Amino acid sequence: MAKQSKNMIKYIIKRILMMIPMLLLVLSLTFVLSRLMRSAPNTQVVFSIMTPEQIAREIERSRTQDPWFVQLFAYFENFFTGDWGQSYVGNLAGKPVTQIIGEIFPKTIELMIIPIVVVPFIAVKLGVTSAKNKNKMKDTGIRFIAILGAGFPVFWIATLLQLLFGYYLGNFTMGELDFSVFNANTPGMGLPGPPGVTLTGFRIIDAFLYNDQLHLWDSLTHLFVPSVCMIFVSLAGITRQTRSSMLEVLDQDYIRTARAKGVLEKDVINKHALRNALLPTSNLIIGGTASALLGSLFVELSFNYTGFGYWMVTSIFYGDYLVINGLLVFATIIILASTIIADVAYTIIDPRIIYR
Amino acid sequence: MTKQILDDDIDYREDESPRKTKFRRLLKFYLLPGWRDDQFSEQEYEIEKIKSKRRLFRRFLTPLTIAGLLMLLSLTILGVYSPWLTIYKLQEVTLPYIPPGGDPFSLPSAVHPLGTTKYGYDILARIIWGARTTLTIAIFPVALSIGVGTILGTISAYAGGPIDYIIMRFVDLMYSIPMLILVIILVPIMGQDLLTTLVLFGILYIPYNIRFMRALVLQVKELLYVRAAKTSGALKFRLMFKHIVPNAISPIIISFFGGAAFSILGLAGLAFIGMGDPTVANWGVDINWARASFTTFLAAFWPGLFLGIATIGFMLLGDGIRDAIDPRLHI
Repeated sequence: MAKQSKNMIKYIIKRILMMIPMLLLVLSLTFVLSRLMRSAPNTQVVFSIMTPEQIAREIERSRTQDPWFVQLFAYFENFFTGDWGQSYVGNLAGKPVTQIIGEIFPKTIELMIIPIVVVPFIAVKLGVTSAKNKNKMKDTGIRFIAILGAGFPVFWIATLLQLLFGYYLGNFTMGELDFSVFNANTPGMGLPGPPGVTLTGFRIIDAFLYNDQLHLWDSLTHLFVPSVCMIFVSLAGITRQTRSSMLEVLDQDYIRTARAKGVLEKDVINKHALRNALLPTSNLIIGGTASALLGSLFVELSFNYTGFGYWMVTSIFYGDYLVINGLLVFATIIILASTIIADVAYTIIDPRIIYR
Repeated sequence: MTKQILDDDIDYREDESPRKTKFRRLLKFYLLPGWRDDQFSEQEYEIEKIKSKRRLFRRFLTPLTIAGLLMLLSLTILGVYSPWLTIYKLQEVTLPYIPPGGDPFSLPSAVHPLGTTKYGYDILARIIWGARTTLTIAIFPVALSIGVGTILGTISAYAGGPIDYIIMRFVDLMYSIPMLILVIILVPIMGQDLLTTLVLFGILYIPYNIRFMRALVLQVKELLYVRAAKTSGALKFRLMFKHIVPNAISPIIISFFGGAAFSILGLAGLAFIGMGDPTVANWGVDINWARASFTTFLAAFWPGLFLGIATIGFMLLGDGIRDAIDPRLHI
């Protein structure tokens, strides 16, 4: 056992060391992308807004007028020293990109955590139920709901839910079920605590830190409908994968042996079948945390929730290429890190995999 | 019992071979309406019971798969017969044309069976013309990405060594960048017309298929018949594409439908953001125009419903084919 954990630590170190050339390659790719973006048609708006001394400072920072290898070296140097430029257009104008990332990502992580935590439990239970009663009513019903979540576009479901909770629920119940939080200018919309100071950037944690109950309730209710959208969409993939793995496992011989031995049916399903069926599903769940970042794009845009996806799309429209570059590099770093974590977790979950 | 029916109970003519007798019967069966020969029908029935194609067809037609097939069929009819199904031409429901006197977001009336959307375009007309766009979106990028990805994946898995290493490093690189965001970044640079967007989408999803195909070919490569063909002197190219690929390709065919569904949702999302093609009727743009105002509820409902129908049709069909073909599910 000790030898296996020593092998695993060596494996983790080896993976992290392999990530460093990958990171450099990704940085080179984003460098090429940022050069492409600089000559794009929608970036010219930014160049017409910037004052001459801002343009001169930007040229000096990224050494635009030098040969390409000097630019590449300057790009790496700026990346590792934390000087990622600043935003010039719109609501974020004037702030350095690192500060923007620190303000934006906690909001997206708050939105992401609820589906990532809740969905595996619900989806695995649904998948097991669907596999147990194959081709009966429950199975068809669950498959139908799962396919609804995967089939209809997220932004459509978001729009309809917005209408339901914002207008129809209040109107059709004569004002009884009117959630005032879905109107603008709710009292908890500002920052908790003293103005201009946020401790962590996570609204819920800040509300606990500053003991601000109104802000906590406000944050939770503002997160409710977007989370419902994302849960509905993520349910589909995991339910289908669990269902098909369970169907494969339930055909195996050891399940038949367990039943013949007299093991209770619920133990056959939950202890013997489920553990073997969960392996591809766990791959999907852990790998899905990285792609949950991308899935938030449409939901944030529909609900005007200023997280990562919202500012990405808005910056693309404004042409603010430094913000785009910074957000893209940060998202890539997160995906690389989660790939390593997924591989290591897969090793832990499946004891038959041994890495050398 | 069966073999007896097949071989013995045919009354042969003395001067004819059995094949010619059967051929004569088959000809009479197809040409003369209502011609029945008891022995012949019984023989054919026994053969049909053994043949596996009939069982495959039976297994394919579960209720959900029939639903998916009907959805796709209706979408195809809407797409193919578009000019005859609605009185509005394509130019009258896309952007540079604003209908004179059109009232935006009106309720369903006699002239506009489903109401109108933002500039006064008829919703039903936009749905019918949008079916063409959706079918193009579903098929073209997935075909491109699977075609190139299959070839590169086979080459990479069969060659091994440095070529494999370089291609897999490249694939890992593309995997670590979020693809949808890359598409959204590249579309304003490369132009917004439909063909460019589809080619971009197809090219950016090649790495997924390369990795998929490589895993499948690695499973097939060590099997015995491949070695037998190689020992008989098959050249590398023929070995790859005639022996390995047809046996490894069935999961890829199944993933074609999943990829089509994903591509429909992705490109409708692009149109929703605003980076779609303005000269084509795209359903995502409709949802963007009618966002979250209670008078425009129906204008947002119908395009999304049809997007869902298209996507679900492809997914159900893919599931049905996989359930029928996959030899590991003995259900």
